[in-house]
Amino acid sequence: MRRFLLRRVGQVIGTIFGVVTLIFFLQRLTGDPTYLLVPETATQADIEAMRAALGFDRPLIVQYLAFLKQIASFDLGRSVIQNVPVWDIIASRLPYTLQLAGGALLVACGLGIPVGIILALYRDHPASRLLASVVLAAQSMPTFWSGIILILIFAVTLGWLPPSSTGGIEHLIMPSIALGLLSMATFARITRTSLLDELSKEYVRTARSRGVPMGLLLRRHLARNASIPVITVAALEISNLLAGAVIVETVFAWPGLGQVTVQSILARDFLVVQGIVLLGAFVTVALNLAADLLYSAVDPRIRLDGSRR
Amino acid sequence: MVRRGRGLAAALLGLCLAVAPGALLAKEKLTVDLVNEPSSLDPHVQWNPDSYYVYRNIFDNLITRDDKGDIVPQIATSWKYLSDTEIEFTLRDDVTFHDGQKLTAEDVAFSVQRITDPKFASPQLGQFNKIVKAEVTGPTTVKLTTDGPYPALLGQLVKLSIVPKHVVDAVGKDAFNLKPVGSGPYKFEGWQRGVQVTLAANDKYWGAKGPFASVAFRAVPDAATRVANLQAGTSDLAVTLDSDLAAQLKNSPKAKVLSVLTERVAYLAMNIQKPPVNDPKVREAVAYAIDKDGLVEGILGGYDKAVPEMLSPAHVGWVEGIEARSYDLAKAKALITEAGSKAKQPISLLTSPVYDQRVVQAIQQMLSEAGLTVNIEMTDMANWLKQMQSGPGSIPQMAFSRWSCACQDADGVLFPLLHSSSGWANAQDPEVERLLIEARQTLDEKKRLSLYRAVHERVAKELFLVPLYQVGIIYGAAKGLQWQPTPNESMFLNRMTWKD
Repeated sequence: MRRFLLRRVGQVIGTIFGVVTLIFFLQRLTGDPTYLLVPETATQADIEAMRAALGFDRPLIVQYLAFLKQIASFDLGRSVIQNVPVWDIIASRLPYTLQLAGGALLVACGLGIPVGIILALYRDHPASRLLASVVLAAQSMPTFWSGIILILIFAVTLGWLPPSSTGGIEHLIMPSIALGLLSMATFARITRTSLLDELSKEYVRTARSRGVPMGLLLRRHLARNASIPVITVAALEISNLLAGAVIVETVFAWPGLGQVTVQSILARDFLVVQGIVLLGAFVTVALNLAADLLYSAVDPRIRLDGSRR
Repeated sequence: MVRRGRGLAAALLGLCLAVAPGALLAKEKLTVDLVNEPSSLDPHVQWNPDSYYVYRNIFDNLITRDDKGDIVPQIATSWKYLSDTEIEFTLRDDVTFHDGQKLTAEDVAFSVQRITDPKFASPQLGQFNKIVKAEVTGPTTVKLTTDGPYPALLGQLVKLSIVPKHVVDAVGKDAFNLKPVGSGPYKFEGWQRGVQVTLAANDKYWGAKGPFASVAFRAVPDAATRVANLQAGTSDLAVTLDSDLAAQLKNSPKAKVLSVLTERVAYLAMNIQKPPVNDPKVREAVAYAIDKDGLVEGILGGYDKAVPEMLSPAHVGWVEGIEARSYDLAKAKALITEAGSKAKQPISLLTSPVYDQRVVQAIQQMLSEAGLTVNIEMTDMANWLKQMQSGPGSIPQMAFSRWSCACQDADGVLFPLLHSSSGWANAQDPEVERLLIEARQTLDEKKRLSLYRAVHERVAKELFLVPLYQVGIIYGAAKGLQWQPTPNESMFLNRMTWKD
């Protein structure tokens, strides 16, 4: 267990270091933000002065080393556009993204898992095939489109929900649905496959032949055994939801990290992008680690080195 | 039946109670949807439209423009030139900042010194760096000195906000950015990052007071969502719509379209140092091939207006009667044939996603019809700007662009685009450069106009660039909002009213 943890923590640090290095150089290779910061009428001398003031005139390697030093002291620097610490931006936006990802996960699991169970239990029923098509259609809709359609129906036409921004829980409903629909089909599919796999096993057939009701079997055995792949997918889907939030946050003017990432990329606000990517990389590897640890909690037969007992 | 009648009466009464206060009271809170949140509310630290819309209501300027575009007093009541390089402003004596302290001549001089200090590295430095000295000359007078005669000075000064010296000195640059203190008609109230900035009416304002007790500026990046907010009645004003979205608002029971022709001019930049546009015949063909009215009416919904010169009528330096080549495809084709095979060399048309791609594609199509080979090259805004300012050797052959100096003066447009000291320029025409320098150094408006007329005529003849149209800006507004948008794209809340 300890060796596994040490190895995984090493991997986590290595991955984050790699991601951060990549994003640092990729961003700078595309140019610097100075031209976006000065008015069109600025002279070359003004542009050079601004570049020097921001430190972008220093050699790349010097900037990189300074950045690593900053990171080591948990300092993410200041936004050149907003002139506030990157931590402050992340701290003010993160709660919104977590709310949205949470809402979307609730929609995705709340709809996807029951649908997956239905699809597995009634796999040959025509209604089940229809349901599968509906789920697929929901997943195929691009979020910017489903978002706008939701706004048109529930905000503009019916006036039930606010079209954008934040406030009470009513502001969270449409963005959660728009984002959750993306992952719903994944949950449905994986639940269905996993359950079908379990249903074909010997112990299920034996239990069924003894007259054990399906409901009891589902609660006692199938749910637990079929949930491992679902946990894996959930961990991956949370990172997907955080990434997918970029579009949803833009459409619904939801002030999460996705929105600020897009704005920062367009404005070349390097330090903000770096800070958010760093956080994203950390969350993704941490979720994967958590999923690994959860496997063994759910199924004690799985050892943490990946083999089965 | 009786029960239904009672229910109906109760519902009507309820409706009356719910509606009556709204109809009787003035609008308490105005909600404005911007594209992004302001990047900074320190008026000397940033310059972008979303910041500008908000902070211009928190701060007063030395001078301002009225709705007609004329330069009028604000903190300065009058001004006079002491010499060609010295101008003295007389200030109001009854202005207080939001913290209750009086606005003095010290604050005005400090504000100018702050923004012109190269160490402060203001992005607006280039607009004010001709000012070399700002000194207090009396209790209510301030003298500014420029490094030479500078006729665009007043045009630039309408953008200079007055900040309180005592607050900036006490809290520092970063804290001032988080909690700005001005003397304008609205006070800073709060900034919920990513969501909104709220302002509250300054009841002690010396001038026209704001009609709304509270105003929220929200960040709504998606234009379709800004329109949905207006249609749903959850916002009162939305910026930056295109003609398609404006069409959606035309039938809305809750919202309407407001538009104005701005001082922004769209043009086709040509690097006359590079083939094939170094050939005057090819440039002439380009000018004949572009159907400006077609672009304006057919693609842009008629909100913009074709112009024959690289200025708008809102600029000092605009002259009537400049004759530009008008659309004539046959002439364009004939010129290309005349220019021969070298005219067939591929031309890169540089563009960026921020520009209307329908227009760029239409230009490509029009030039192709005339016989030119034009390839659209798309790049992000930072790279676009870098390439456009890289000097004659590497400026692309052709680019679609829109220009605004936010000063409504020809000097801010023609000098950077045509004088070789600027990274944008590639014309290197001694005659134009002489005229531009002379116009920059004379305070005599009539003489300036005649100099700019000569520049326009030379540009129309030599086609260093092709002016296309004066850009219209489209806002969406709640039906009750009464407001006249202005060419300089300001949004002064105290010039608005509300009528239910």
